[in-house]
Amino acid sequence: MAFSVAMRNPALRILFRNSWALGVWLLLGALVLWYSTLIPVFGPFQITSITKNSLPLVYLAIGQAIIVISGGIDLSLGALLLLSNVIAARFMAGQPLPTVVLIALGIVAGLALLNALVGFVITLSGVPDIVVTLATGYIWSGLALWILPSPGGGTAPEMRWLFTGSPSGVGGSYWPPLLMLLIPGALVAIWSRTTRVGLSLYAVGSNKTAAQLAGLDVRRAKIVAYGIGGAMAGLAGLAMVALTGTGDPRFAIGANATLNSVAAVVLGGVALTGGVGNVFGVVATGVTLIMLNPILIAMRVDSNNAQVIQGVLIAGVMMFGGLVAFLRERRS
Amino acid sequence: MKQRNRIYLIGSVLVLLALLVGGCVAPAPGAAPAAPTAPAAEAPAKEGGFVLGVSNTLVGNAWREQMICSIKAQARASGLVDRLIIANRNAGPTEQIADLENLISQGVDAIILNPSDRDALNAVLEAAIAQGIVVVAVDQAVSAEGAYIATNDQTAYGRIGAEWLFETLGGKGKVVEMRGIDGVPADTDRHNGFLEALAKYPEIEVVAETFTNWDPSTGAQQALDLITTIEIDGIWTSGIDYTVVEQFQAANVPFVPIVGADNNGFVKQLIELKDQGLIGAAVTNPPAIGAVGTAIALDALTGKNPERVTLLTPRLFDNVNNLEELKAIYAPDEQPGWSTYVDIEPYTLYNGSADVSACKGPGE
Repeated sequence: MAFSVAMRNPALRILFRNSWALGVWLLLGALVLWYSTLIPVFGPFQITSITKNSLPLVYLAIGQAIIVISGGIDLSLGALLLLSNVIAARFMAGQPLPTVVLIALGIVAGLALLNALVGFVITLSGVPDIVVTLATGYIWSGLALWILPSPGGGTAPEMRWLFTGSPSGVGGSYWPPLLMLLIPGALVAIWSRTTRVGLSLYAVGSNKTAAQLAGLDVRRAKIVAYGIGGAMAGLAGLAMVALTGTGDPRFAIGANATLNSVAAVVLGGVALTGGVGNVFGVVATGVTLIMLNPILIAMRVDSNNAQVIQGVLIAGVMMFGGLVAFLRERRS
Repeated sequence: MKQRNRIYLIGSVLVLLALLVGGCVAPAPGAAPAAPTAPAAEAPAKEGGFVLGVSNTLVGNAWREQMICSIKAQARASGLVDRLIIANRNAGPTEQIADLENLISQGVDAIILNPSDRDALNAVLEAAIAQGIVVVAVDQAVSAEGAYIATNDQTAYGRIGAEWLFETLGGKGKVVEMRGIDGVPADTDRHNGFLEALAKYPEIEVVAETFTNWDPSTGAQQALDLITTIEIDGIWTSGIDYTVVEQFQAANVPFVPIVGADNNGFVKQLIELKDQGLIGAAVTNPPAIGAVGTAIALDALTGKNPERVTLLTPRLFDNVNNLEELKAIYAPDEQPGWSTYVDIEPYTLYNGSADVSACKGPGE
């Protein structure tokens, strides 16, 4: 068969193996195209706007994807984003650039260690991920309020430029946000598919016992996955402070972010049962979720209906994925 | 393995096709091909046919819903607006920045927003202003340069009501201050106004201060606890009023003078319970500030150079001197939480609560 011939070609094989990720990127392309017909002008301003506003969700979704692939789920990622956001806003305000950079690195490294510790506690205690991270999520949200009781603080213009392409946060070049969107996603995706530790996440998430019997370090895999999740949440909080120029400790922001990260992961073809999925796909679905809102507004869909449509879309894509899996089972 | 991959591939192609087809056969109403529009900054004052953008970040709140409806009613009544684009969702500054950028992308002539933060939106608002878009912040202020601001004077809200109460009590007595949400700017401002009034009446004693969180049932419980346990001569509320009055009836305690907002339920009580000894005053905090903002935006667009800052001083209607006015603003068809004071001279063009309640924008 022509198909099996194609499978022997390595390039085509990679394409087939990542067909869901490819599909969501094409879907995003189609949405951007559609959006560009709904508005009078589509240019650099719009590209910058879409990419920079997607950054927090995309980072959070990458972190969530890695954790879900390793067989866990982290409901505290949104709260970690809040924590990163308020620490950055409170301590970066009015500081010189070197201090700001140090604080940024410290936040990413610190939250990575903090969440790795949570991963360690999960493996040690055997308490389900969802329970532990629900609890830690409340702790981080409380801490965030304690650090910054009400919206305020600030950051350096250079920091804002890095994530938004402009020192003021609006209307800058689209290259910095575009690169900040693609590079972390690509790095984590390549790392997860080519390194020994990265691949062990898939093995552990797919079948923990088999992975253990095969001699893989299950505990290390989980700790690493949660550590990456923490680092990405730290990055998301930095992106948020760059977007608004202030910190905001409100609980709802973190809770929304967590839910959206799970939605992006699910849409991106990462199975919630673990072991399946491509991290680079969730970059596209993160942007897609951000794009839905302007498109629905442009179509004059009432806000109350917009949420329903968003939910129906997620359910529809998921049921489509289920149908594909069902057909596969029946064929084989 | 091969089968699975093939099915995945076919699947993703199908999804894509479905979306492409969906996108092609169902273009949005009013969708236009990407045609560059003239830069608005240099455009002379137009006669009409404006597109207004609205951004709000609190959904499911009666006051805010009424604010949006007042914008719609005003835009419709003005006859100058072709289309309203409304970005309305529960969100923080990050999402509001995205919404505002989207409104700019839609090519609106003016943006009316209820800001989620005083400073965080400045860059995007100033970018809009630089493109010639008129920006009006309503209800709460922004610090962006060049933005129009229309707000209710919350300090005066606190002061006017408190002065009426202290005067009614003859400058002497025990009062309760039922505030809103601790730390919210509007609550702080109202409290400051209350304190300003209190400073002028040394024989008024504040025996209790509560935070109702602007929640009717919370306020009711606090009121019931207070009126059944301590001696009170008067109550000042930050707008949680009709459920407080109900507690007097439930506990069978004689009414004391009470200050509330222009909530329909409270206005009704002031009219109907006057014979049973209820004395009270409604201080206005109109969500129709949205309509005022719309009027200012249209004035700016048509070259009438409105004031940059509009601070609406609340009005006070008590059921001793202003009973007829209370009867005039009372809206029998609306909910108890409906803000009855909707016609704000000289800004609003629609006709009363019915027009606002219909909640229809231009072309709807």
